[in-house]
Amino acid sequence: MLYDEHLPMSIRYNIHTIWLAMLVLTLSTYIMGKLDFNGIIITFILLLTVITKAYFIINDYMELRGVSLLWRVIMYGWLWVICISIAITYIVSL
Amino acid sequence: MCEHIVKAEEPKLLPGDLAMWIFIFAELLVFGIAFIAYAITRAQNIDMFNQYQLTLNSEIGAANTLLLITASYFVVRAIHAIRLNNVKTCILWIYASLGCGTIFLLLKLLEYYDKFSHGINLSSNTFYMFYLSLTLFHFMHVILGMIILFAIVIKAQRGHYSAENYIGIETGASYWHMVDLVWIILFPLVYVIR
Repeated sequence: MLYDEHLPMSIRYNIHTIWLAMLVLTLSTYIMGKLDFNGIIITFILLLTVITKAYFIINDYMELRGVSLLWRVIMYGWLWVICISIAITYIVSL
Repeated sequence: MCEHIVKAEEPKLLPGDLAMWIFIFAELLVFGIAFIAYAITRAQNIDMFNQYQLTLNSEIGAANTLLLITASYFVVRAIHAIRLNNVKTCILWIYASLGCGTIFLLLKLLEYYDKFSHGINLSSNTFYMFYLSLTLFHFMHVILGMIILFAIVIKAQRGHYSAENYIGIETGASYWHMVDLVWIILFPLVYVIR
């Protein structure tokens, strides 16, 4: 696929809809905490929410989409190592 | 045509200055180690962490998340504006982002005032040690990010940036997004996940 940074993003996936999606995901995280939802399933849902928001930031706001694989591996590797480590510690503590 | 296709398939360069990215990776490494240390320590002290997590103000935590996400969005709008050579709009978006950062700092100070006025400090217990260390460390990064954005907006007002030259804005924006990225993990980890 050809990449051109000046091409507009799609009408459904652009910086505005990404911003709104991240606001909604943040509110869902807050509500889950406020309703005292807990347990391993909720922890996984919250971590998936974190990964989704971080993906938006790294890929679309930091504009790492299309950069050298090395930089993307560093950024996404950092994210996955942290989230997997958190998940493992929660599973171990059950 | 073939030449165009070959050029288009080459990976893009990192936006902004490479030196800033090295700094960003170093910062992320430090925060990453701190997050994992928090998770490991929590696993060994679940009852204490769950008990004291309830004393945190998740409303302020959520509001601060919304503010940082919005501040990042405003910075993206600023980059898009400067690419269209619209310097005035770019400046306005950066000021809007600085406004969000200022409200973030004020809310955080309010949160700290509440905790410190109840006698809570780094020595209170392990949970508060992590909570205060992580959030204060992040707080300092927000201040640094705002100083960088302020320096950029001053340079923009003096006509240093245009559609042909905006690497400085991209550099500052990358750092600001890193501050947002860290908080996106910090908020659920410290305030919500139990």
